[in-house]
Amino acid sequence: MPEQQVVLRNCGVIDPKDLSTYLARDGFEALHKALAKMTPQQVTEEIKTSGLRGRGGAGFPTGLKWELAGKASGNHKYVICNADEGEVGTFKDRYILERDPFSLVEAMAIAGHAIGAQKGYVYLRAEYHYLLDLLENAITQTKKKGFFTRQGTSFDIEVREGAGAYICGEETALMESIEGRRGEVRYRPPFPPSQGLWGQPTVIDNVETLMNIPPIILRGAEWFSQMGTEQSKGTKVFSVSGDVQKPGVYELVMGSSLRELVEELALAKDTKMVQVGGASGRIIPYAKIDTPLAFETVLGAGAVIVFNQSRDVIDIMCKTMEFFAEESCGKCSPCREGTQAMLEILSRFSKGQGSGKDMETMKELANAMMLTSLCGLGQAAPNSVVDTLEHFTDEYQAQIKNGV
Amino acid sequence: MNTNTIRVTLNGTEVSGHPGMTILELAQENEIDIPTLCHYPGLPPIGACRICVVEVEGSRTLVASCHTPIAPDMVIHTHSPKVLEARKVIVELLLASHPEACLVCDKGNLCELRKIAADLEIGLPRFKVKKRYYPLDDLSPYIIRDLTKCILCQRCVRACREIKKANLFAVAYRGFHSKVVVDQDQPLDKQACQSCDVCISLCPVGALAKRDGENASQETEATMSRVSGFGTEGVV
Amino acid sequence: MAGKTLQKITAKHKKGRNLVSLLKEVQDEYGYLPAQVMTEVADSLDIPVGEVYGTGTFYSFFSTQPLGKNIIRVCKSVPCYLADNQSVITEIQKQLGIKPGETTDDGEFSLQLTNCIGACDKAPAMMINDTVYSELTSAKISEILSNYR
Repeated sequence: MPEQQVVLRNCGVIDPKDLSTYLARDGFEALHKALAKMTPQQVTEEIKTSGLRGRGGAGFPTGLKWELAGKASGNHKYVICNADEGEVGTFKDRYILERDPFSLVEAMAIAGHAIGAQKGYVYLRAEYHYLLDLLENAITQTKKKGFFTRQGTSFDIEVREGAGAYICGEETALMESIEGRRGEVRYRPPFPPSQGLWGQPTVIDNVETLMNIPPIILRGAEWFSQMGTEQSKGTKVFSVSGDVQKPGVYELVMGSSLRELVEELALAKDTKMVQVGGASGRIIPYAKIDTPLAFETVLGAGAVIVFNQSRDVIDIMCKTMEFFAEESCGKCSPCREGTQAMLEILSRFSKGQGSGKDMETMKELANAMMLTSLCGLGQAAPNSVVDTLEHFTDEYQAQIKNGV
Repeated sequence: MNTNTIRVTLNGTEVSGHPGMTILELAQENEIDIPTLCHYPGLPPIGACRICVVEVEGSRTLVASCHTPIAPDMVIHTHSPKVLEARKVIVELLLASHPEACLVCDKGNLCELRKIAADLEIGLPRFKVKKRYYPLDDLSPYIIRDLTKCILCQRCVRACREIKKANLFAVAYRGFHSKVVVDQDQPLDKQACQSCDVCISLCPVGALAKRDGENASQETEATMSRVSGFGTEGVV
Repeated sequence: MAGKTLQKITAKHKKGRNLVSLLKEVQDEYGYLPAQVMTEVADSLDIPVGEVYGTGTFYSFFSTQPLGKNIIRVCKSVPCYLADNQSVITEIQKQLGIKPGETTDDGEFSLQLTNCIGACDKAPAMMINDTVYSELTSAKISEILSNYR
């Protein structure tokens, strides 16, 4: 399926510093429609019907999230845009923020109307500090035009920056960070739509998820839901990197094949395996390159890292587990201790000091982490190890000491 | 029929509880013993150790019983093979980074980690990680802290904050190198500790000890009784 | 200590309960989080100093030790690794005479290895302070560093 331009519709076309270029392309028409012609419940219903699911990796139905927050009781509800984008190999949100910050601002205002929130936050990772002015400028221009005020109430957006912590991309750690604390994960329930930021009903959405809101409001849920697969509607923006000739951002309809993305578009050659979903993603061996990209199969937030035949699987696994060990918040034992234990075993394999028993141990450790960790970091950290143990067993076995 | 009752299936038997009850509370009411480490009656739950996980049908992951509320028609298994296998791995992980000093540790048979490991019949852990080595913090005339044994259950942090309102402890750094600290990672040398042993009484392992080896002060005994709802005989 | 600046910073973030943003400004102003300043922050926000310390030591971009005027953060995650970030790291080490985690004697540069900064399409990449440099080769390092000397 060919590339689509739903989320990326304005990228490279408008001037991200100039609101008037956005207005010239139906900018803020969706917000006007939502405020003038739709009740909050109707807006939420439209998003529900569209089938839009979160684009940050978890894939939770967006409309349902908004509905829960809209129904929850609280005097100060919040809309948060998760622009932490820390997942390894993910840069699609960066690309979007660089080129079309206005759509994000409009989407947040629509979300505010839908759930009854007057305040929005964009949580921008520290590494994207150079985008702060662009983002704040978009908010200021929008405010100056009066788009945030409506029938007695008003909306406002504040940008909060991170300070270098991958875990703050996790929604509860993100809220802890905005509240001025360590990014330690909170247990759930309660879930953010009922008790989130400062205990208030809160909707947290990824940048790309929000980018879909204005087109859905303008063109309708039915238009959106006609694209994609049974459980994955619309398009997905992928960030492709690694052993490819044309790394970059590509938007495809959900259900498009991995081969189309990495070989036809990114021009990969001699591929050994592809990691879909970043460090916490799944490993697809080249034999399965025709796997469709969707929530039902494999997706994540859309990071696609390509590895050619020269790459050493164990080496890549060590680097991956090193990442998780460093970024674990440290609160829960399976992740805090498990990432270290897994890394120790993988390091021994990288030195040819592994054992057959170790391979069994890694599987049991992976299982325990996936089943008991407090959040997605610990739950997904073992993913690529589990997949490579299955699909590249020979590479592990080659590193067993004395073949035992 | 009381409309406030929530009916669930617990280890194959239909039981009922009230709204807001956690799975752990329901299990305790039905005399099912789920091991815990970071949980302590009277302290807000934190969900850190993950030892108390149970299986809930329909859930992708196991859930921590100390903070998960019961819901109508939940089907819960507290000691299924899946649960026991995961629980064993977690305890092994905690033992792996714990100093191998049980024989000479003063906590002795009061150590909750040892008890859980024994109950689960865990021998030597299969994992090898670097231990956390910190110099002994024994500057205080009242409390000795050996953080090499700390399992980061954060009971001391929560107790000092919620019960004593003294807020002497905080967690610092990140990940494996997280540490319970005093001020800017300085020795614990506070007058407030003179007549208080709350953190020592709650520590599940041998990380905290009273300096002169005396029994808990009367003030602490009264506090602990009130907080936990139990007597302080053999506080475990 | 620049007492007046600290007062301004604290006043700005006190109401918003914004300790992380406050510490970021302290880091920007002083180049790190000095112990004395953290104590003063705790006093003026009326929170335990342990909480300030605990928050300050959680985030990778904060440091409790003095850093150089310019902080170089080279990405070490997998996509940059595949694009040979090692030759970039080696070149910087050679030119500055320091290893990751160290600061030059003249206090001009600190070198750190950081995790994915989201520039994987133009790997290998690094940040110097707030600026991202990408599509790096060891040949480009001299010129980039000269902007900061």
